[in-house]
Amino acid sequence: MVAGRSLAFAAWLCVSAAAAHAGPRAEVIHWWTSGGESAAVRQVAQAYRDAGGTWVDSAIAGGDQSRAVTVNRIIGGNPPTAAQFNTSKQFLDIIEEDMLNDVDEVARRENWDQLLPEPIVGVIKVKGHYYAAPMNIHMQTWLWYSKAAFDKAGIKKEPASVDELFAALDKLKAAGLIPLAHGGQSWQEVILFSSMLSNIGGRELYLKVIRDRDQAAINSAAFRKVLLAYKRLQSYVDPASPGRNWNDATALVISGRAGIQIMGDWAKGEFTNAGQTPDRQYGCIPGLSVNSPYLIQGDVFVFPKTDDRDAIQAQKLMASVVEGPGVQLQFSKLKGSLPVRPDLDASQLDVCAQKGMAILRDRSRPVGVTEVYLTPDQNGALQDILTAYWNTSMPVEKAQKSIASALRY
Amino acid sequence: MNVNSIAQRLPAAAAGEQSLARSRSRRRITAARIGIYAFLFTAALFFLLPLYVMIVTSFKTMDEIRRSGIFALPLAATLEPWRQAWSTVCTGAACEGLRTGFANSVAIAVPSTILPILIGAINGYALSFWRPRYANLLFGVLMAGAFVPVQVMIYPLVRVLALAGVFGSLPAIVLVHLVFGMPMMTMLFRNYYCSVPHELFQAARVDGAGFWRIFVRIMLPMSLPIIVVAAIIQVTGVWNDYILGLVFAGRENLPMTVQLNNVINTTTGTRLYNVNMAATILTALVPLTLYFASGRWFVRGIAAGAVKG
Amino acid sequence: MTARRQLTKITPYTALLPMFVTVLVGYIGAAVWTLGMSMTASRTFPSSRFIGLAQYERLFDNERWMLSLHNLALYGVLFVLACLVIGFLLAVFIDQNVTGEGVLRTVFLYPYAMSFVATGLVWQWLLQPGDGIDSAIRMLGWHDFTLGWIVDQDMAIYTVVIATVWQASGLVMALMLAGLRGVDPEIWKAARLDGIPAWRVYLQIVLPMLWPTVATVLLLLATAVVKLYDAVVAMTQGGPGTASEVPAKFIMDHLFLRSNVGLASAGAVVLLVPVLALLAPYAYARSRKEAA
Repeated sequence: MVAGRSLAFAAWLCVSAAAAHAGPRAEVIHWWTSGGESAAVRQVAQAYRDAGGTWVDSAIAGGDQSRAVTVNRIIGGNPPTAAQFNTSKQFLDIIEEDMLNDVDEVARRENWDQLLPEPIVGVIKVKGHYYAAPMNIHMQTWLWYSKAAFDKAGIKKEPASVDELFAALDKLKAAGLIPLAHGGQSWQEVILFSSMLSNIGGRELYLKVIRDRDQAAINSAAFRKVLLAYKRLQSYVDPASPGRNWNDATALVISGRAGIQIMGDWAKGEFTNAGQTPDRQYGCIPGLSVNSPYLIQGDVFVFPKTDDRDAIQAQKLMASVVEGPGVQLQFSKLKGSLPVRPDLDASQLDVCAQKGMAILRDRSRPVGVTEVYLTPDQNGALQDILTAYWNTSMPVEKAQKSIASALRY
Repeated sequence: MNVNSIAQRLPAAAAGEQSLARSRSRRRITAARIGIYAFLFTAALFFLLPLYVMIVTSFKTMDEIRRSGIFALPLAATLEPWRQAWSTVCTGAACEGLRTGFANSVAIAVPSTILPILIGAINGYALSFWRPRYANLLFGVLMAGAFVPVQVMIYPLVRVLALAGVFGSLPAIVLVHLVFGMPMMTMLFRNYYCSVPHELFQAARVDGAGFWRIFVRIMLPMSLPIIVVAAIIQVTGVWNDYILGLVFAGRENLPMTVQLNNVINTTTGTRLYNVNMAATILTALVPLTLYFASGRWFVRGIAAGAVKG
Repeated sequence: MTARRQLTKITPYTALLPMFVTVLVGYIGAAVWTLGMSMTASRTFPSSRFIGLAQYERLFDNERWMLSLHNLALYGVLFVLACLVIGFLLAVFIDQNVTGEGVLRTVFLYPYAMSFVATGLVWQWLLQPGDGIDSAIRMLGWHDFTLGWIVDQDMAIYTVVIATVWQASGLVMALMLAGLRGVDPEIWKAARLDGIPAWRVYLQIVLPMLWPTVATVLLLLATAVVKLYDAVVAMTQGGPGTASEVPAKFIMDHLFLRSNVGLASAGAVVLLVPVLALLAPYAYARSRKEAA
């Protein structure tokens, strides 16, 4: 097709022209392919170009596919300049194989240790070196609710404790609505679990179980209470929930057919697309008490190892561009996430994001989601158990024991 | 016994396009015939149901999709999703739609069909007429390989291709399609040649013709029906392939299916179902057109003995 | 031997060189590599830390894996049977000199051309309780009808059967139809003279004659069963929970998502063993037959 050919030719021209100007060329693999995400990543690309570089985009939908391609290209000897990963242990193996370049220079110069939230630093700093440039933060366990549904069920104020949450769910059920909008996919079940663990168990139990994998904590009565609450949520979802995509569940809340959804702040995009605004048609609750841990996850860029001087230059440039205040705000505004720098002025962001920013500034509240502390393998095993517990009549003791043994190694 | 008479007999026997029924009694509107049409009609409904949903969804707006049922006809039909799918939907930082991958898909599909068919034909020919020693054993292992899920072989292939210095390029993806296509292609041609009368081959050998001569002059012209069959199966497989193109083709050669996946499978972004459906139908148009155009050939080819064990 | 005859003798071997290289490097090489990997502690990257059969132990201790094997056996039998029966029936009925044969053939074949990424989603919608087929049937009058298979732990795998049979029966039909078209018309004449009803001719005379076709179709379907992945991912993601998990998905998830190449390789080896066990006697029998 001519269009494709001339596009490729134009791209080639751009690349060679840029080469002529010696702008550092960065090929970036990422998985931001939807409308809002695409607009967001374009901001980064533009900022990078403004800083003198050339951005070559390699978008691959689906986090797993994208990361698989990155890993395969590293093995195949043709790595990208930068690649998107989550703030997690996904790239730990790559560091151990010495396949990543570090960005210590940029990190020290811009003082990432003080600037960024502690869980993020814990992920990107391995053995004293900085291996990733964080792009944004998402909070995983926001409670979204439909004001229309709350009105119909006679719920006057936002739930401010777990008991009030269950009371609200009961009221919604009595009003004939779907109390909890849920998509029955295992990662969404982990979100429900994390919400219960953080709200009921608090920061201490959460970290003991997830970060330290403390066997005593996992086998404790307190943790059992969390598991029971998690299972209790299941009685509030509708029978068609298994397999449902998260955004279809959000659609239920948008239309007022369901009351509450527990989902990450990427759900905001769905509300915005449907023409709803926070605090008007829907509400957002970051946690059920003022001390609830704020569970953060995010996206980072890693820089595969290369000795090519231009590539290294490109990597450093990217690391610094990505942390710039302007880029951070623009990206997050379009994506619905939060910037990784709590020091920014949040007034441009929406109401819910502002709530989040305020919490981020309190350094005691942000805590990582499960994948921040667990390896993909452990996280996956936990996920398998949680979804089995959710979907079958597994007794809570068995679930507890299975989690204990899954997290032992 | 000359080539022509042999070559003529095959399509004639295969063109049992005059079906068995014709040699039976004349058509009557019996209960049996009504039953036949009823069955076929019901089956056709079942088969067409998903296509109906896809088409209907692709003409609705997202608002309508959220509100109405999946079977409802669009109240305000719009071509917008189709336009978006082809030229403006975002597949990353670029929002160029599916058309950018189209040329790549073609560039991958053409060699990845021709080469495996050629090699499959040669293999089938050698296996069924010449039967070198241990060749059948090799063939057995090849058939076992047909069962291996593609993903399992990705790592070793990445390493091998990287060693050969071609990883992430058009030759790489063509080679990979060759490796994965070889079992099926070889089986098709081997079975086909096994059902061809061998007297022609014996006669040619007695006349002193060698391996390649017989292949090019006699076998290949006779294989037209099975070549069409193989082409259809291979083109469908290659055109719809996603994972191999993603890993091996290199950034400049990503096929249309990668864009299709980018449109459909966003992780945390919003999903535009109408554009997804339009995009899927657009992507499927090439194999579908091939089916429409060569359906007759397809049946004729297999009838010529491809499947006789 | 003259030079010419020597050349003729080795030409078949050289012609088969690509196949030889592919099998050796591609298939045997990959198999050996996978076997090796299955005995190491490889995570994201292949490692050479040998740990014996530990991955296999872990594999058989894994409920999700055991369920996937069970699902595969169940799915395999149903899928192959359904495709064979439906494909054969469709072929027989189309063979009855019906009008619009070309259109009908295309209608049954088109699913094969569509990739499962989106058709799987459509099937998910169709089988969703409350929104899909069951709501349509309720609107037509059967008020109590529910079709909740796709959200049911025990029934989810059957929905995958439905969708994949939809996709594959057309191809089976085409192959069977061609086989039918290759049957000698004389058979029909003789059968009519003997007064045998049509259905008996098909079942007891023609079907046995089609055995080679059936064998090819069986092989095709069997490979599709073992490699089942796209459909499950598109329709149920292995759910609800892990109810519709299949081995190929388990392997794929552990290869990339869970970054556990060692466990995935062990799974691949275990998956292939029954395949080889089934193929080997078949291959042996064929080679004996040809040697005879």
